[in-house]
Amino acid sequence: MPLHPLKLGIGLAVAAAITALGAGNAVPQAAGQAPGPFTAAQATAGHAAYLENCATCHNRTLQGGGEAPPLVGSPFINSWGRRGANELYGVIKASMPLGNANSLSPETYQQIVAFLFQANGATPGTAPFNGEGTAKIGSFATGKMPAGLLDAPVAAAPARRRAPVMPMGLVVAGTVKNYTPVTDAMLTHPSENDWLMHRGNYQAWDFSPLKQITPANAGSLQLRWVYALDEGGRQQFNPLIHDGVMFVSNNRTNTVQALDAKTGELIWENRIGPVLDNLENATRTMALHGNLLFYGATDATVHALDARTGKEVWKTVISTYKNDKVGGMTVIRGKLLVGLTRCDDLSVQDHCWIAAYDTQTGKQIWKTLTIADKGTPGGDTWGNLTNDQRAGADAWISGSYDPELNLTYWGTGQAKPSRQVERGTDGDALFSNSTLALNPDTGKMQWYYQNAPGESLDLDEVYERVLVDHGDQKVVLEVGKTGILWKLDRTNGKFLDLAQTVFQNVWVKFDKKTGRPTYRDDIIHQKADVAIASCPSPQGGHDWPATSYYQPGDLLLIPLSQTCAMYGAGSQLFYEMPGSNGNLGRISAYEAKTLKPVWTFQQRAPFLTSIISTAGGVGFVGDFDRVFKAFDVKTGKTLWDTRLGTGVQGFPVTYSVDGEQFVAVTTGTQGGSPVQKPRTMLQEVHRSETGQAVYVFALPKKR
Amino acid sequence: MLLRFLMPVLAAGLLCASAAAQTYQANLGPMPLDEATKRNMLGRGEATASWDGKTLTLSGRFAGLPSPATKAYLFVGPAIGVPGTESFDLTVSQADTGTLSGQIALNAKQAAAFRTGKLYVQIDSQKAPTGNLWGWLLPQHFDAPPGEPQQGPWFLPQLDTPSR
Repeated sequence: MPLHPLKLGIGLAVAAAITALGAGNAVPQAAGQAPGPFTAAQATAGHAAYLENCATCHNRTLQGGGEAPPLVGSPFINSWGRRGANELYGVIKASMPLGNANSLSPETYQQIVAFLFQANGATPGTAPFNGEGTAKIGSFATGKMPAGLLDAPVAAAPARRRAPVMPMGLVVAGTVKNYTPVTDAMLTHPSENDWLMHRGNYQAWDFSPLKQITPANAGSLQLRWVYALDEGGRQQFNPLIHDGVMFVSNNRTNTVQALDAKTGELIWENRIGPVLDNLENATRTMALHGNLLFYGATDATVHALDARTGKEVWKTVISTYKNDKVGGMTVIRGKLLVGLTRCDDLSVQDHCWIAAYDTQTGKQIWKTLTIADKGTPGGDTWGNLTNDQRAGADAWISGSYDPELNLTYWGTGQAKPSRQVERGTDGDALFSNSTLALNPDTGKMQWYYQNAPGESLDLDEVYERVLVDHGDQKVVLEVGKTGILWKLDRTNGKFLDLAQTVFQNVWVKFDKKTGRPTYRDDIIHQKADVAIASCPSPQGGHDWPATSYYQPGDLLLIPLSQTCAMYGAGSQLFYEMPGSNGNLGRISAYEAKTLKPVWTFQQRAPFLTSIISTAGGVGFVGDFDRVFKAFDVKTGKTLWDTRLGTGVQGFPVTYSVDGEQFVAVTTGTQGGSPVQKPRTMLQEVHRSETGQAVYVFALPKKR
Repeated sequence: MLLRFLMPVLAAGLLCASAAAQTYQANLGPMPLDEATKRNMLGRGEATASWDGKTLTLSGRFAGLPSPATKAYLFVGPAIGVPGTESFDLTVSQADTGTLSGQIALNAKQAAAFRTGKLYVQIDSQKAPTGNLWGWLLPQHFDAPPGEPQQGPWFLPQLDTPSR
């Protein structure tokens, strides 16, 4: 057989990236500022269309954020400078807006592309852009944004996706009868009847002592009630249960509701607002304390509602940066701890943090930055970057808490921009992708452990920190997007052990004493205009669908995903993980003490809920393809399943009312990588883009 | 259904992966794709490759391509899951469903790449001329069928493929 040493063997965009590598790394510059293939009127209209359709993810400043790449500056030019204007138009039209591709008119797409050209320094010409021009973008755009462009007046946004006018405020008045104030003691030792906090208890177990539902009877589970929720937003919230009342929310309309958890009867409803097309962030967490229910709205405000009536008691603005969002949230010793996320602006004032607020007043008590500035501990890990060039380390998942040690454990996300070569430093970038142990009274960082130093591929380590005791050994366990299951001594942050749960090719080895990983050579020597193969993809080997700790069997039940990506250089291309046989979803059980594998289960569709387990020996989980199932936690065998209205996503809960055990789960339609990747890859799966609801199941009623 | 479940369901008696394994398997799925390209990159397939110390003998099948296959290759990548540039031609049916095969003499370096899981099969098609399907040749192993739990331990490429 003949050998073809230079034949390209990968998809179109990957081929483009490699071709670009061969051509060198210099950033193309505009030659004499040749006019771009668009008009000023198009760009002006495109600015408004961009704000309406793109800015929620890519930021009004075009700097990107979260999983959305920057659309301005050298990252944009490095990615697109050698590619044709028509190619950019084609990609945007075929894939955007997220989850609603090809939904705008061709003229609107052309206007948005014209605005991107202008924002990258291109000078408007006389001929309108029609989507077909093949001129290389680098021949007319420099990447340098004209001064004042973003301050220019913008026409009113079109009404295409505006919500219909709806009544706001406390639209359904009612009172929860016999509500018991939630105390610190109740949070420390929650009743098995309740689900008082994100993931059920301070240890983040997603485990319930309830045992009415067993492997022997789970097959007879029945739908008890369903309640339709507002459409839109990234619905991934964790219902809270107390005294037979279920609290639910929707983060597009910022609506909070109290339902009778046994019957599904609506007790009160507060439409807090604002109503936003909030596609860029989920509101996963609410919190309870005293008579208050805390909700983080999508305009970076925290609202304390009277849990009995839904009336607002106080609200506080946690950030004035428009894109910032409320991340994790939990109550510890009378303080509401909040993590900030989507703090993407390159500004000292927009560094991410974890803060504590007085639950009675909303007044901030302390704030701990998750970015190390110059001159502070860890500040030298960002190289020579000025403080306003340091970003990321979002605290978007709630922390866990050890009352004995009086330490709360939070994870942080990746540094931003995600890729080292775009950040401008190959340093570790503390305290990104780390485990932080904080004193909840003062915010003082007791210790930190950086799981993924200097990470480059949007592989967060922000997820749940599960606290487990084995005799005298107190450990904290976590799985990040690389799928590494980390075990640390939670008294001091010392690395103890790790296990690889899915295929990963990002790290080639680990220091046996410290756990510090070594990156693959082409990641270390990455180039701005070359995509990097990453297994797992930014969907994560593990993402926000959280692990359950089945305490009776010392089992960690971990939802996992099996996709890879060609990441960077302006786009992401997804592919199945080698060895997965096309199964994007996996659940694996590991013994927590030894990290030994116990059982695994694969399927085509990825799982989009946390797993919960119960003392009855039954686990529950939902997936992208609308299936909600019960399984035997000891073997992984499916005991019961049913299909719901759309993707099953969020955080299932189980609770008891009048001696009867219920299981609740939500459906939702939008999301980040865990939804986007399978939406692109599972072309045979068709789900409704409506159908958000909460479903409640129980065993048949005794007649 | 055929496309969705055209996965290798190997007999339970198959040997687990080991350094001595000489027969490797690949499950072929879509090449890296996005919203703009995904409709041209459907299909599934499978391949096996045996190494006798001199020659690699490969055979496989595929189905469900959106357009007829045009070429097939065996590529050498720098790591499992990382695309490469060095390739060998394979014989492939010029159809949307068919077979592929080849016999390739590998030098020592290429044989080491085979042993360490760095070889992958790629099929091009008319609508996806730079790649429609691909799959990494990994040591033959048992996978429980989709939907069936497998009691551990189970195959993970980075742990169960020889590193040298």
